[in-house]
Amino acid sequence: MGVPIKPSEITPEAVYISRRRFFRDTARLAAASLILSACRPKNTPSPAADASAAYPAPAATGCADELGDALTDYQDVTGYTNYYEFSTDKSGPTRLAANLTTSPWSVAVSGLVDQPHTFDIDEIKALFDQEERIYRMRCVEAWSMVIPWIGFPLKKLLELVKPTSDAKFVRFETLYDPEQMPGQKNSFFPFPYVEGLRLDEAMHSLTLLATGLYGRDLSPQNGAPVRLVVPWKYGFKSIKSIVKIDLVSEMPVSLWMASGPNEYGFYANVNPNVPHPRWSQATERRIGESGRRDTLMFNGYEDEVASLYAGMDLAVNF
Amino acid sequence: MKLTRGQIIAFIFCLIPLLATITSWGFGKLSANPIQDLTLRSGQAAIRILLISLACTPLKNLFHLNSLIPVQKVLGLAAFFYAVLHFLIFTGLDYEFNPLWIMAELAQKPFLRLGLIALLLMLPLAVTSLRKLQARLGSRWNQLHRLVYVLTALALAHSYLAAKGDVLIPLISTFVFLILMLLRIPPLSKISISSSPGCLKKIDRYLLQ
Repeated sequence: MGVPIKPSEITPEAVYISRRRFFRDTARLAAASLILSACRPKNTPSPAADASAAYPAPAATGCADELGDALTDYQDVTGYTNYYEFSTDKSGPTRLAANLTTSPWSVAVSGLVDQPHTFDIDEIKALFDQEERIYRMRCVEAWSMVIPWIGFPLKKLLELVKPTSDAKFVRFETLYDPEQMPGQKNSFFPFPYVEGLRLDEAMHSLTLLATGLYGRDLSPQNGAPVRLVVPWKYGFKSIKSIVKIDLVSEMPVSLWMASGPNEYGFYANVNPNVPHPRWSQATERRIGESGRRDTLMFNGYEDEVASLYAGMDLAVNF
Repeated sequence: MKLTRGQIIAFIFCLIPLLATITSWGFGKLSANPIQDLTLRSGQAAIRILLISLACTPLKNLFHLNSLIPVQKVLGLAAFFYAVLHFLIFTGLDYEFNPLWIMAELAQKPFLRLGLIALLLMLPLAVTSLRKLQARLGSRWNQLHRLVYVLTALALAHSYLAAKGDVLIPLISTFVFLILMLLRIPPLSKISISSSPGCLKKIDRYLLQ
């Protein structure tokens, strides 16, 4: 892949525009060839550029999501993050999280389950087949990325611990260690970070526990060693560096719900029609692109997840 | 129009955010979301220079530094420059001058309306900084330019509401603003050093030239 060919040079414009429907309806083979055409050489950094990064070269198997959108550059995925446990600056976590101890690491899964278990991170990686999933990530701040995660459906882990019939929600908690996570001394936020999903959301096949991205282990700023990825919700739902997963009967109060109840709801589904009280959510900027794009309902996963919210008023349950 | 030394120094000082941003851009050091970065940088430059310009009067009173009066004008115009830049980056670079998008944003985001009002209030102040107009307006010029207090408060509210969770910088700026306002109210506004030390007098004279 030496010749830099832009996707727009290959894909006829009409196809490019109707790509969404096209991808849904056409045969896999046709889709695959188009996906390949969306590959850009700059997705994989040159060996020279990567040598300075002190990591082995990142490599993803795929190079575009199912809509044909190219992966966001590795440098941007790992260099532009929201991780308030380290810094409220987007580039801060890359530096400040570098020394986070991610091994040993354990994740305690308990609450309303028949078989509570504390998983060691190596156990998690060995027990569950790790697969690549290319998902769009839409931040509530109206920017987005396309990221090749490595992970496994959360469902598999939950099935192992066997939620009881009383379990209705899943509550996640990030490591609380102000010595390692200096941002946790920031009294604006009630750390530790907490997030939650309804049980059916957690059991959805798109919901991922990620342990890596771009073919390698998660970097600390991206939530090492294990994080949640819920691609149809705003990025802040995808809690990082998880140490605790509890099955509960009541709707958990997330950190963002606690710090801004009018602004952040429990569901936080990507929805261009429901503005944040202070910001519009109708459009977004894909990192690496100069123009804006329209935000898609449920971040483009409407077909897969809309049924979860049938009959719900999404403006009330924001 | 002849600039005083103080004004030239202030002018060069005010170029720093612009040059720093151009340098960062040239070296690819803007964030992965460069347009947002530019928006933030230009907005912060406008507010900070505005606050510095508001510090001129209390400093002048306190230390008998008349050289700060012409400096204040340069700072005010520089703040206006960054505010206009901020506006153009938002409407042009970010929203591609697309009136539908921009109107939708204005309708949904109260903080944008506050920012827009602050910018519009800056317009008459920038225009009347022309010496001829200043002379013609006489004492009304002073009254008009009190608008700066209102527009600074609006700009601060704008930056506070634009923040997602981390409001530390807007809060610090607001704190500085409140102190600068307090220093304008008697008896604080009457405080000054009784006799200015020689070196300060020298600096003042130097900057006035």
